[in-house]
Amino acid sequence: MQSFITPFSRRSMLRACAAAFIVAAGAGAALAQSQPPITMAINQSPWLNSFVAMVDEYEKETGNKVELDVTPFGGLLEKIRNSVRGAQGAYDIVNVNSLWLSEIYSGGFLAPLGDVQAGYGLPEGVLTYGDTTNWDAEAGTFAGGGALMGVPVNGNVQVLYYNTDIYAKLGLQPPKTWDELLANAQAIQNEGEAYGFVPRAARDSIVYNFTPYLFSHDAAFFRIAGSGKADVVVNSPEALKALETYVKLATESGPPGPGNIAQGELIQLLATGKGAQAIAVIAAWGQLEDPNASRVVGKIDAALLPAGPAGTVASSAGHWVAGIPRNVPPEKQKAALAFLDWFAAKERQVDYVRAGGVPVRGDITGADLGDDAAFRFIGAYSQNAQHAVMGLPFAQAAEASDAMALSLNRAVIGEMTPAQALNQAAADLAGVLERNGFAVTKLPDL
Amino acid sequence: MTLRLGSRILANTVVWGYALVILGPTLWVLSNAFKFKIDIITGATISPFTWINFHELLFSRQSDFLTNLLNSAVIGIASTAIVIVVATMAAFTLTCLNVRPWVRWALLGWALLFHMLPTLTFVGSWYLMFSSVGLHGTYFAVIMTHAVHNLPMALFLMMSFVGALPRELIQAARMDGCSYGQVFWRIAFPLVRGGMIAATALTFIFSWSDFAISLTLTSRDTMTVPVAIATFAQEYDIRYGEMAAGTLLSIVPALLLILLGQNFIVRGLLAGAVK
Amino acid sequence: MISNEPSYKERRNKRWIAISLLPAVALFIVLTAFPVVNLLALSFFHVEWREATSAFSFVGLDNYHRLFSTEKVFWDGVRNTAFFAVTAVSCQMVLGFSMALAVRTAGSYGRAMLTGIFLLPIVVPPIVIGTMWRLIMGREFGLANMLLRLLGLGPVDWLGNPDIALASVIFVDIWHWTPFVFLLMLAGLESLDGEVIEAARMDTRSRCQQIRHVVLPMMMPTIIVTLLFRVILSFKVFDEVYLLTSGGPGTATEVVNFSIYRTFFRQDQVGYGSAMSIVTLFAITVVIILARGLAQRRAAQRSTVS
Repeated sequence: MQSFITPFSRRSMLRACAAAFIVAAGAGAALAQSQPPITMAINQSPWLNSFVAMVDEYEKETGNKVELDVTPFGGLLEKIRNSVRGAQGAYDIVNVNSLWLSEIYSGGFLAPLGDVQAGYGLPEGVLTYGDTTNWDAEAGTFAGGGALMGVPVNGNVQVLYYNTDIYAKLGLQPPKTWDELLANAQAIQNEGEAYGFVPRAARDSIVYNFTPYLFSHDAAFFRIAGSGKADVVVNSPEALKALETYVKLATESGPPGPGNIAQGELIQLLATGKGAQAIAVIAAWGQLEDPNASRVVGKIDAALLPAGPAGTVASSAGHWVAGIPRNVPPEKQKAALAFLDWFAAKERQVDYVRAGGVPVRGDITGADLGDDAAFRFIGAYSQNAQHAVMGLPFAQAAEASDAMALSLNRAVIGEMTPAQALNQAAADLAGVLERNGFAVTKLPDL
Repeated sequence: MTLRLGSRILANTVVWGYALVILGPTLWVLSNAFKFKIDIITGATISPFTWINFHELLFSRQSDFLTNLLNSAVIGIASTAIVIVVATMAAFTLTCLNVRPWVRWALLGWALLFHMLPTLTFVGSWYLMFSSVGLHGTYFAVIMTHAVHNLPMALFLMMSFVGALPRELIQAARMDGCSYGQVFWRIAFPLVRGGMIAATALTFIFSWSDFAISLTLTSRDTMTVPVAIATFAQEYDIRYGEMAAGTLLSIVPALLLILLGQNFIVRGLLAGAVK
Repeated sequence: MISNEPSYKERRNKRWIAISLLPAVALFIVLTAFPVVNLLALSFFHVEWREATSAFSFVGLDNYHRLFSTEKVFWDGVRNTAFFAVTAVSCQMVLGFSMALAVRTAGSYGRAMLTGIFLLPIVVPPIVIGTMWRLIMGREFGLANMLLRLLGLGPVDWLGNPDIALASVIFVDIWHWTPFVFLLMLAGLESLDGEVIEAARMDTRSRCQQIRHVVLPMMMPTIIVTLLFRVILSFKVFDEVYLLTSGGPGTATEVVNFSIYRTFFRQDQVGYGSAMSIVTLFAITVVIILARGLAQRRAAQRSTVS
């Protein structure tokens, strides 16, 4: 739809722009090192202020300009699509949510960073969140060996939140396994003052939230077996164990009606002290520590997610990656990369955390931040970030996620047994994969 | 008489009871503008008072709410004016004059068909159309799309109001030698003012609260109020207080514009009719 | 044949017809022709983005076939939407009409105040309605449950219980959109001929009869148009559902437009999503035509009886 209406071909537009730019660049050549101004599409978010602080610092330090086009979260994907699909992009940097990465990568909209600047690689220490910064176009999946597509700008992963007051009162320890988490939850629930564990099982986000349970049980939704082949394994016995754990936690030691609990309710319960434990993204930290929004300031801590039976840990990646679109002039692309590279350096990332951001490096320790209690999350964050996974690493992730969400949600609200739900999810996932050209094998029904 | 009185009391109770159902939640929502977030999410009815939400809304660096209000007003008024003029003229012609049936069917059928489609399925096309002629992000783009989006409803509403006019009156005026244009301006236009006010109010409200079109077609300089308010519904943090403050600030001008607009239209038309 | 020569006035009248219709026609052609035709065309294609260009593959009726064979969620949405439309719209019509009647009879002071109050819900942006009602209907801290607690009743999980989630969403829709009906009914009532009403008052015994036999028939054009647009708008309901429940729990509150949003927009399956839109469009059209035919037959019957 997007391309038949434009009277000019993309290439001719690009060439015209490039030509215009060479002239402009020639005129500005006297200003050595300085970069043309760039525009970045970014969402309004709790961490935006910290990012703005970094932009200010960059502008002050280098004299270059970075303009931010701030959009509601619910509208950013549309704005990005509109810009990167056009003949000439409106944005020199697009901030892509982990849920949209595979779509934007596979569509070929971004310039691999190695093309923008020959041989560019991510600075040492920057996290890749389950190789999600690299895309293997051949296999159609994230892969460390694929082309580098972007630099993370906000490292959001899930952590286990717990209320230290309640823990101290009941003499509990942060759980190492799912069974320990469940035992803690039941102890708290029985005590009666707070819900033991707040699940997030609303249909919209259930696949994302089920992912750490699944992967820590050494299971997966599917596995790509060479190009064009996929094995659907979501109905494995390990996956069943994972879903049973998930449902048990959601239904036995938490608030009733888990089928419609979304992030808002989860944070509400944690912030009021009504919820004692929950798995949520680290981006919620700021709110829980804000006295205007929370009654548990200083009483919440974060930990590594529980491990599965074989000791595996997994945390769903919910980070943001900044990519550089193909449809902007090369000079702008270079300017964009210069900013992103500047941003990822360790000393800036320390500043970023101090300004309230979530870093994108795994090598920042409490000591770097002067062991300030306000940043006590940093250890748990780094640990979880090392175990970040992308549950559905292929182009049609959104479609697959929506297809399976219904069955999982039904298992939580009791309309299906876990086994039925997984069989149905496997059939739905296989359908999505087949429709998109994969040769699919499937495990027998549970 | 006593029965009459009794039923009247009953009717009054029902009406004011309904008013309470409307007012209660609305006031609660608006009162959130003066609360801290922790008090909002715990549902506190009595809580410490704060201006912090207005402060964030009006003076924080990412927010430019007064500009957004101005944009909404410009877009709302301009698109409503276009819609009402276009719809009233067309409605009069389609209802009262001899138009070929296929013209009537084609126009009305298309309007209805277009109105039935979900907005989100064609905003992408609009983005493409406007950006290919360099008009993306301009007032013009938003005003015209809002106008065409609200035109079907206004057209049908105005047809129903024009259709309720006494036919004899129009017939008589034509017998008296009035041209179509004269019949419209002198007879029909003044008589449908009640309906026109309602259609104007609704059109304005739909434009004022539109999100899907405005999101895609505005840029930072033309962003409207609903888009601005939506920026406070963030991925991990729904900022109820700022949303309520924004709502409060946007309801006041909207209601004022509707009420003043009504007065203006009524008075203007009455003046015209007296002549 | 001088009489066939169009007179100056006739030419002017012809020109008036053209001029009065032209703006509407022009707006529709320029701004809606491409999007609508494009949508229809897309429903026969599968669109994929590769190398930053879109690849269209013609798939014939595949999208439609898939919709009628393997799709599940969408049809749950159709069922819910139909129920939603019927219950919400009928409540809104009755409430809106009654309130308009009541406001008409109230004194001028009360009338201005009531009109102002009744209009409030539609002036609030839908996104605020959705988020705030989600808070009000929250199980733990919601205002609704707090009131119930005052009455000594247990907490109700308004949005989390699959059995009542849809009813809760319908309630919010009624709350939100009754003003739409109210405003139009009020306008319709005010434009009625005062003399006819006065005369009818003499003839009929009770107010009920007066409303039933005089006011209602005279209001029919307005009522029908209001009903038409409420039905269409309720088939397009989106914001409330998205913000209150996102279609859950299960498919308890799934609605058509939410399926379309998910498919067309979030999953970027524009072909399949277009097919959903077209099928929905077709369904509403059939409903409208049937309703119209029914109304006409009843009208015809009535006129032959009397």
